[in-house]
Order: sequence, then C-alpha cells, then structure tokens
Amino acid sequence: MRFKVISCQILTREMNQVLAASPHSIDVEFLTMGLHDLGASMSSHLQQRIDEADSDGYDAILLGYALCGRGTEGLRAGRTQLVLPRAHDCIGLLMGSRHVYQNYFDTHPGVYFRSPGWLEYQRPGQPLGPAHASSAQVLGERRSREELIAQYGEENGTYLFEQFSAYRRHYSGLTYISTGVENEDALRAQARAEAEMSGWRFEEVLGSLSLLQRLVHGEWDAADFLVVAPGMTVRGTLGDAIVEAE
Amino acid sequence: MAQCRELYDSVLGGNAKKAHDATQAAIEAGIAPMTLITESMVPAMDEVGRLFEAEEYFVPELLLAGRAMKSAMELLRPLLASTGEKMSTRVIIGTVKGDLHDIGKNIVASMLEGSGFDVVDLGSDVAPERFVTAVEEYEPQFVCMSALLTVTIPAMKTTIDALNAAGLRTRVKVLVGGAPVTSRYANEIGADGYSESASGAVTLVRNMVATA
Repeated sequence: MRFKVISCQILTREMNQVLAASPHSIDVEFLTMGLHDLGASMSSHLQQRIDEADSDGYDAILLGYALCGRGTEGLRAGRTQLVLPRAHDCIGLLMGSRHVYQNYFDTHPGVYFRSPGWLEYQRPGQPLGPAHASSAQVLGERRSREELIAQYGEENGTYLFEQFSAYRRHYSGLTYISTGVENEDALRAQARAEAEMSGWRFEEVLGSLSLLQRLVHGEWDAADFLVVAPGMTVRGTLGDAIVEAE
Repeated sequence: MAQCRELYDSVLGGNAKKAHDATQAAIEAGIAPMTLITESMVPAMDEVGRLFEAEEYFVPELLLAGRAMKSAMELLRPLLASTGEKMSTRVIIGTVKGDLHDIGKNIVASMLEGSGFDVVDLGSDVAPERFVTAVEEYEPQFVCMSALLTVTIPAMKTTIDALNAAGLRTRVKVLVGGAPVTSRYANEIGADGYSESASGAVTLVRNMVATA
C-alpha cells in the first residue's frame, strides 16, 4: 500500500525509525513543531497539507499527531481516509499508549516532559515562523525578560516575565522519555542538565514506539486508532477514546 | 459622580503605582470606595476588554491592567469591609485538578474583580473536594473552572459531579474555560456557561446575573 505521513517535527527520529521498517511505501512530510500553540488554527495548517496530498491517490494519510489540545479537531478526510492515533499529545504518542500516559500524569503531578525531538527542535524564546506570526503576537508569552522590559519598562516588564515564567515554579520534575533512538546520550544529558538548572527532580521513563509502528504498518485497531472515512471529520470526545469521527 | 480620571487611566495603562496613588488621593478627597469601583475601575476594565477584543491589547496588557486594578483594590477592600459594603456577586475560581497552568485563570479572575465582582481565587490544581468545600464556605453564585490540557479537562466533569453529589449544584452557576474547552463540551458536562475569552467571561457573568 501507499501511504502519506504528515507528522509533527517533534517525532522526526522516532518516525524515521519506524518508517524504515514498514512494509509499505510511504512518503513523509514533517511540519514545524509548535503548531499546537496555534489552537484552533493548527487544524487549518494541517488541513492544507492533507488537502494537497488528497489528490495523489494514497491508500491513507497517516497523521503523526494526537488531539494536541484540540488542534486536530475538525480535520476532514477528503477522498483519502485519515488515520490518527488515539492520544492526547506527543507524550502519549511516545509513551506508546494514552493509558500509560494518563497513569503517569495522575501519579506524577507537576512534571514537565522532554523527548529527543523536544530537545532537538525546541528553541525557547524563538518566535514561530512568519506563517504563524499572529499567534506569537497574541500570546506575547515567549519573550525574554529583556524584550519585555524594553517594551513595558523595568517594573512592568519584570512583572510580566515573572507571570509568564510562573508556571515553572509550579513544576517540580522533568521526565525524559527515552524512545531508544540512536545517539540519545547527549539528549538525555541535556534533559538532565535542564532539570538540574531548574531545580527539578529528573526522571527517565522508557517510551514505546508501538503506536507509531502500528500506524505506519497499517495495523489500525479501533482501540488505539481512529480511521476517518472520506468526508468525515475528527472530533475530540475527551472520553477514553479521545477522538471520534463524525 | 465624576470619574476619577487618573485611576481610570492608570488601570487602562497598566500602571500599578499610579493606580495606587490615585486611589489614595481619591479616598483622601472623600470619594466613596464603591464609587471608585463602579465609576472608574469597572469602566477601565471594560475598555481593557474592548481593546483586547479589538486586538489592540494582548495578554501582557491584560495582566498589567489587572495588576493596576489589584493595587487599587488593596486600598479599597479594607474600607469596603469596614463600611459593611459588599459586592453583590461572588465568584470562586480555580484551575482544575492536575492543571498547573494559571495565566488565563489569573486574567479572568482579575477582570472579574475589576468588573466589580467579589472573586475568591482558589489557585491552581484545585481538587473537586476543594471546590465543594469552597462553595460551602464562601457561598458564591458562580464557580469558574479552567483547564489548559485535554488530559485535565475531564476533571471539570468530576468537579460538577462532586457538586451534584454534595447537593450544591443548584446553588451555583458553573462556568468553564481554557484553550481546549468548547461550548459543546461545556454543554455535554452540564456546565451553565462557557467563554472563549476573559472579557467574554465578564460579559457572561454579567448577563447571567442580570437574568437570574
């Protein structure tokens, strides 16, 4: 079969690893990370890519995405069926199961997650590219202390920086999801250093590429994957299924 | 009663020190605290909300206006308490269990406060049981919940269920918000209202008070 994978950049190494072992013929396209910050407009960016691939006669378009804060809600399958793993976000994708993630989340409050892709592609403080400029502007939260002081003055700029970074005080741990990709040591060390610098407890959990593997192998059991038939759209249910087609 | 222009301007411009000083001066000039709130702060916060909707103000401006408003309220609150004057509507607000993201909640709380509501902020990661005891303790008319993650959204339903089980659900209006929350989800879990934005939350509470 011929598939098209449209995936978040965050999954680059893991996706390439499972693609190499897939029995199917697959074209892949990675989109810049951070689309989830766009909220509802994330889906319009994705839809554009889906629509472009729709006329190429693939057997399915596979999404390297999850519900992503409802960023995939409203995605519509054109003539080609869409397949989406059932997960809240990339943490669930990389842990290999939404249930493993939920269990970890419930028992580890205040934990920040890192994975190889997060460490490689996240550049804090760097605004999103021009295509997404409006979001960076509306949020105004990604700016450095210096930038905020330059715009709002010493007093207010310092206050804003504290407000925007306050979430860091609520966090107490950083968990690195090891996904078994090559050359992970440097990334793991980077995660550990970040935890130490922030005074967070460092923990490493073993991820699983099971979901991604089954996605690109075409093994889409309904328990873990949503297959969106042509003409149908994705909707977040927030129940155990996370997503459904309607 | 004339508006205290300096207070209005300093809240709108997000200048906490000036808001404090203007309030102090107005109090010394004998202007009643409640008058300062209704004639100067509420209109200023309304304008802040309008500018946000018009995309002239963004999150930083909302936070700064809220901070300026708070510096004025710190002076006014004890005076209100001593004269026995009360805000007519009380709101309790918090992020749901498991959710530590509170910037949005803080903005909604300060906009509601600056709009003349009595706001009790329960903070972040608020367990359903805590919402229940807070409703018993503070007897609010509104319970506002926010969540940023779809992983924590179900805690909104758990909280509503807990209010039901405690027999308190009919005493309060439950409002929900947060980036991944939708009006459809609000309906599904039996919330009374949903707002997409902080200024929308103010309008929502006002409308519900007016029609109560």
